[in-house]
Amino acid sequence: MSERNRLRSVLTLVQLNGIIPIRTTPLYILNTIASPLSFLFFIFIVSRGSYLDYGITGGMVLTMMTVGTSLQSDLTHYRHDLKFQDVVVASPVEAPTYVTGMALSELVYSLPALAVFVALFVALGHPTVVNLAVISGVCVLVWAFASALAFTLATYFQDVRETFLFSPMISLVLTVLPPVYYPLSALPAWAQTAALISPTTYAAELVQGSCGLGAPLTLSSAAVDWGVLIAFTAALFLLAAVKARWKEP
Amino acid sequence: MPSAISSVHLGKTYPKARPGKFALDDLSLEIPTGRVYGLIGRNGAGKTTFVRIAATQLAATLGTVYVLGHDIRTEERAIRTRIACVPQESRPLYFLNVEEVIYLYLKLRGLDPQDSRRRTNDVLSELSLTSYRRVLVSRLSGGIRRRTMCAMVLASDADVLFLDEPTTGLDPIARREVWQAIRRASRENRTIVLTTHYLDEAEALSSRLALIESGRLKLEGTPEDLRARVRYPYRVTIQGSFPREELDSYGKVSEIEGGMLLFTREQEAHEVARRALERGLRISMGPVSLEDIFLDVVGRSIEEDSESSEKDEATEEASA
Repeated sequence: MSERNRLRSVLTLVQLNGIIPIRTTPLYILNTIASPLSFLFFIFIVSRGSYLDYGITGGMVLTMMTVGTSLQSDLTHYRHDLKFQDVVVASPVEAPTYVTGMALSELVYSLPALAVFVALFVALGHPTVVNLAVISGVCVLVWAFASALAFTLATYFQDVRETFLFSPMISLVLTVLPPVYYPLSALPAWAQTAALISPTTYAAELVQGSCGLGAPLTLSSAAVDWGVLIAFTAALFLLAAVKARWKEP
Repeated sequence: MPSAISSVHLGKTYPKARPGKFALDDLSLEIPTGRVYGLIGRNGAGKTTFVRIAATQLAATLGTVYVLGHDIRTEERAIRTRIACVPQESRPLYFLNVEEVIYLYLKLRGLDPQDSRRRTNDVLSELSLTSYRRVLVSRLSGGIRRRTMCAMVLASDADVLFLDEPTTGLDPIARREVWQAIRRASRENRTIVLTTHYLDEAEALSSRLALIESGRLKLEGTPEDLRARVRYPYRVTIQGSFPREELDSYGKVSEIEGGMLLFTREQEAHEVARRALERGLRISMGPVSLEDIFLDVVGRSIEEDSESSEKDEATEEASA
């Protein structure tokens, strides 16, 4: 398949799984916005407004993670119930093209939520070229690793109900427990250590640090955060390339 | 005629199957180019497993398949550019309309928008789907959904089409429309691998057939070849009272409502027909149908299997 055709396939998947369903059922968008905004509201009430900035930046990270959980459900449903993956396997479309297209289509659902958070950030935060660039880079990496993880898991699930089992656990480990919505220092010492296992902790540190929230970000700590995030993303890409079952064993 | 697909000692064991249980067992087939090749067999015989392996969706355990000269073990990418598949029990995405299902599938395969549009319009018309073009899949009957899946693949540019039970749930008129489209694809020198439980469909469409039972090839050839290879290639139906003991020596006899059904050889069929007519009984006579062959071969296979398992049990009991 030529590069031009690959691009056409990716854009077709975006249209097929993103634009057309939203056009026919706009409520999908509300569903994607609801979860991050609920978290923001909760954090705002509990912290009496003091963690609002954390909530806004955390909402952007959570929105990207939501892409992964939605992708996982869609891929499992399409593979298992509709046999869509089998239709695609027996075609010139390769696995990376399929995943990229499907992951981008899920991003379409998240764009309105992302727009809300960016608007809040511009209105209430302190947007600069640097922190907007950092937030964008972190969001791309979170979207990429969440999508790679979703694809790998989706090729193992035997039923879409299994995604309902795993998605909350993944969300818990990657978005709720790590200090995405609050500073790392707000956690007890043991939890701070445990949070270092999650890549989202590094994503949150980068986003918060670049916006002047929490502990100041030094050059070396920023390098560590980027390094961990990139390494984690690369590891999940490798896992997807080696372990995902595009063809069944 | 060169083979579009060659399966060589193909074997498949599913990872969670009990030891020694083969879904496919030493299956070797030659599927000619530009023809419809029918795969028939009972549920679980191995038809879908074969299709999924040849369509590069499932890994083989033993042996291999060559599709258009490419080995499924090492040249999947080359194969995938030239095949298309309607999997068993597949359904179109429910939030698309019929036209979008076909058009977007063609674009997904890399066809340019103009070509995709033209092919979509042609197949919608050929399969009488034009009136449904703007109807959401979620609002369609099961038969129209299945026809949409067939349309999607038949409109593609693939050289080899795998159709796994493509007409399940279709009414007789819709089935014949799909048959016409399959025949048209075959005339375009495309190879079609068709699995079906409708034996009239297999016979009407296929230039060659393979009967698979318990993962093994039981019979293979043209419909005429299959008839020539069964024990009793003729069937005689006698309406009225005819002594069964007289018929038993001619072949396989079974009682049917209002008479007897005899499977026999050609010469004996004429002899029995003459005797029945002399008694003033009504008869019908002709070559066996594919369904008769299927029941004969599969029935024997079941008998052999049950005899063999009884023997195994007896041996186990004796050694205990």
